[in-house]
Amino acid sequence: MKLFNRIRGPRLGTKLLLWGLVLLIVPWISYRQLLGMERLLVQGQSQAQLLTAEGISTLFNGREDLFNDLPVSIQDYESLYARPLQAPVRIDGKVSDWGEITERLLRFGTDAEGNIQDGGFELVLGERAGQLYAFMRIRDDHRVYRNPEYLRLDTSDHVRLSFIREDGEDGRIVLVFQNPGVTTAYRMEPEWRFARTGTPENKVQGAVEETDTGYTIEFRMPLDMLGSRRFFGLAFADVDDFDTRTIRAITQTLPKAGKASFNLVVLRSPEVLKIIEGLGYSGARIMVIDAQRRVRAETGSVNITAPDKSESDADWSVSMRRWFDFIRPILHRVVMWQALDEIRTVEDYGATADEVIVSSLAGDPIALRRRLGDAQEIIMAAHPIVSRGTVLGTVVVEQNIDEILAFQRVALEQVIVLSVASLLVVFVVLLTFAGRLAWRIRHLRKEASAAIDQHGRLKTSALRSEMNAGDEIGDLARSVSGMLSKLHQHNQFLENMPRTLRHEINNPLNTLSTSLDNLAHENPAIVDSKYLASAKRGVLRIGAIVQNLADAANLEESLESEELETVDIEKLLKNYVANCAVMHKGTEFVYRGANRPVMARVSDYRIEQLLDKIVDNAIDFHRANSPIKVQLDVFRDHLRITVANRGPTLPPESEQALFDSMVSHRGADAQNRLHFGLGLYVVRVIAEYHGGSVRAMNLADGSGVALMVQLPLASIEPSTGRADTPRSALNANGEGLIQASR
Amino acid sequence: MVKRIAIVEDDPDQRANYRDAITKKGYSVKAYGSRQEALEGFDTELPDLVILDIILGDEVDAGFQLCRDLIARDPTLPVIFLTERIGEIDKISGLRLGAWDYLPKPISLDYLAERISSLLRISEARAAGDGTDSPSAKRIGDLTLDQDALLVSWKGHRIDLSGTEFRMLAKLVRVPGHAVSYETLMNATMQSLVTNNTINTHMRNIRKKFEKVDPDFASIKSEYGFGYRWSVP
Repeated sequence: MKLFNRIRGPRLGTKLLLWGLVLLIVPWISYRQLLGMERLLVQGQSQAQLLTAEGISTLFNGREDLFNDLPVSIQDYESLYARPLQAPVRIDGKVSDWGEITERLLRFGTDAEGNIQDGGFELVLGERAGQLYAFMRIRDDHRVYRNPEYLRLDTSDHVRLSFIREDGEDGRIVLVFQNPGVTTAYRMEPEWRFARTGTPENKVQGAVEETDTGYTIEFRMPLDMLGSRRFFGLAFADVDDFDTRTIRAITQTLPKAGKASFNLVVLRSPEVLKIIEGLGYSGARIMVIDAQRRVRAETGSVNITAPDKSESDADWSVSMRRWFDFIRPILHRVVMWQALDEIRTVEDYGATADEVIVSSLAGDPIALRRRLGDAQEIIMAAHPIVSRGTVLGTVVVEQNIDEILAFQRVALEQVIVLSVASLLVVFVVLLTFAGRLAWRIRHLRKEASAAIDQHGRLKTSALRSEMNAGDEIGDLARSVSGMLSKLHQHNQFLENMPRTLRHEINNPLNTLSTSLDNLAHENPAIVDSKYLASAKRGVLRIGAIVQNLADAANLEESLESEELETVDIEKLLKNYVANCAVMHKGTEFVYRGANRPVMARVSDYRIEQLLDKIVDNAIDFHRANSPIKVQLDVFRDHLRITVANRGPTLPPESEQALFDSMVSHRGADAQNRLHFGLGLYVVRVIAEYHGGSVRAMNLADGSGVALMVQLPLASIEPSTGRADTPRSALNANGEGLIQASR
Repeated sequence: MVKRIAIVEDDPDQRANYRDAITKKGYSVKAYGSRQEALEGFDTELPDLVILDIILGDEVDAGFQLCRDLIARDPTLPVIFLTERIGEIDKISGLRLGAWDYLPKPISLDYLAERISSLLRISEARAAGDGTDSPSAKRIGDLTLDQDALLVSWKGHRIDLSGTEFRMLAKLVRVPGHAVSYETLMNATMQSLVTNNTINTHMRNIRKKFEKVDPDFASIKSEYGFGYRWSVP
């Protein structure tokens, strides 16, 4: 119950903190904004890629020639891919400088199980700086080198190259070798028997090495020798018999069906490549794909690699990222009300590429954003290449958007960290501020409520704290202080009122009194007049009223000058009650004492005055012929004087108000006595001055009222209380002892 | 010879009332309304008894100043304060200045006249007699009380009491060992408005004056709820 009464609402600090929560809108808005920004950036990126693709595609629009150099149906040909070589290759018959592309050797002359037969070979083609490079690993059980004495060139193991020259004619070149080392090339007659000219073709350079199983041959020829369509065939003619020197077998790359004489060297179309080469930019890959979905040119590269772990230089950034990865889905769900990963499922690269290519080959430009792996996202944009209403191919621009994502992540991290930090700071600041504010207000409240004591008396005329504060609390303090000082003035006026009144009234009262005297002397006839007597009584009455008021007003002040003595209250009360019986004839007094000395440090005649008031009160209210009981009880550290009388009871709510000044419960039937409700006020002031208290209560049986005064006992032990004060020592051999020993 | 009484009171009504009443009792009365007037009057001749109000016009302490002047001129001159200032401090300072009595307003003119005659008699007795061994002196144990000269001594030490205090003490010791009620003591003050408290204050002052010459003084006893008693050891 009490708790409910005390808590009326949230305290100031709680309120401020709750308001501080409004700051949470900052990360909320930031997150939304960031997502928007990400979408915008990705969109812009897609757009840019699409535009790039479109721009590039326009370069190819109408250029059927670039795309028609390959037969439409790729099934008809065994295509020979010439792969771009990264590094220069020495023509030395060794494969070591070819790099990793030799892992994809093409095999010719294999049996059903795919093993290379005698005379079969493995081949890889490469292309670099306008040269076509070839490397062959040939299996040959009997190596037969050329004997220069034979004019015919088909009398030893040799390599035949067939192609269509730039001028459209068939080109035939043979590589022959007399021993391991440099090969010699000749242009050949159509029957592949004799060289067309006696001089070797120097443009085709080669080298041969022996291996355990045969040869390795490496050679190069200028791409210029091939026509733009690059039909190219390659065959190994195996001669096994030294004597007959007849060709045992020819293993060739040419199609077995014989539909055409040549294979196709599918180079990344140099012209296409030339066009797009300059367009590549960092982090992007541009591919030109023809309608048969063959990659015709490619430039640039996308880093589709897992993020380098070692790259994260500091531990905290790793843990930061981990933490961020943890917090991000929660944040996303909180802010956007949906799961984070809806659009972010990991997809297969190939499927994505397919989708893009199919779509664009169908004539629709497209840009897709796809997540590949844990930390990779790419945008793939494709735009068709059109010529005369047909789609020749498509330009695919692929770019990693890691940067955007990284940017977003960093920004998000910053936002979150900043938000958390600023929230913390704001909370701390708010808390401090609120605490300080609350402290100040509490302090002010304490001081303000301490300015008036429980009886409503003003203790101080001004506040001290917060008076110089410039803010509203200062204003409040000043205004309360102003109120207090006005109240103080008013109070002082009221307090001085009785004194001033007495002062001012006594003069005219004296005039009245002396005039009445003189009047009586002048007219001896009226000396016995009842009117003169009543006038004199009136004068006395006014004087008494004023005197009583002034005495009550001065009571506290005059109590201060009282000297306390150690007095036996038992003796005092006994004496007092006995005297009461003498003074108030017709009223019975009953005293029940403690029957032993009860010592208290009091001013004896103030206690007498207190008893006078209580007994007066009891006499006024007691029922005729009922005794007034005075009782003294002693407790461990205090004594209690109870004066009880039978008679009318107190209204329940007035039991304590009774002791405030000017409160009287005599009602309308006032007797002819002086009553201003000062009597019991005097009782309270005297009791409190002695460190005691006073209480009024109805008797349990409702037959009357008891007034109880509690006073502290004088302790005999020197260690405790007032008996030990210097004042008591001063009086120890004076009145105190006399009174005590009486 | 007609005794000359001077009255200093700024309120004309009260002044006139005093003058009329006291003149009727057969005294020669000079009444002054301000300090200056009074001083001029005193320059001409000093009266046999002076009644002073303390506040004269705007001068709140004029009565005290006049008292000081008068006592300086004639230390034996009986001076009575008759004032509305009835605070304990005013009373003490008034008596300290050498006033014989300090009377609060309102006062009964009969009491005033009685006091005047009593003080004049005492003044005469003091002028004539040589102190403690006057024939009118009464001895009760260690206490010597000269009603006529208003002189009290305890164990041979002179004790200065105001007129009111003297009368109360006289009443108290009339029948030693017998309790004297507050009412009796109130009558002894010859004031019209007296409370138990006033009596208590007077008694305490008397007791203190005795204790000053004899720390073991214990003859004045309280009868709580009734009054006081002079106990004979």
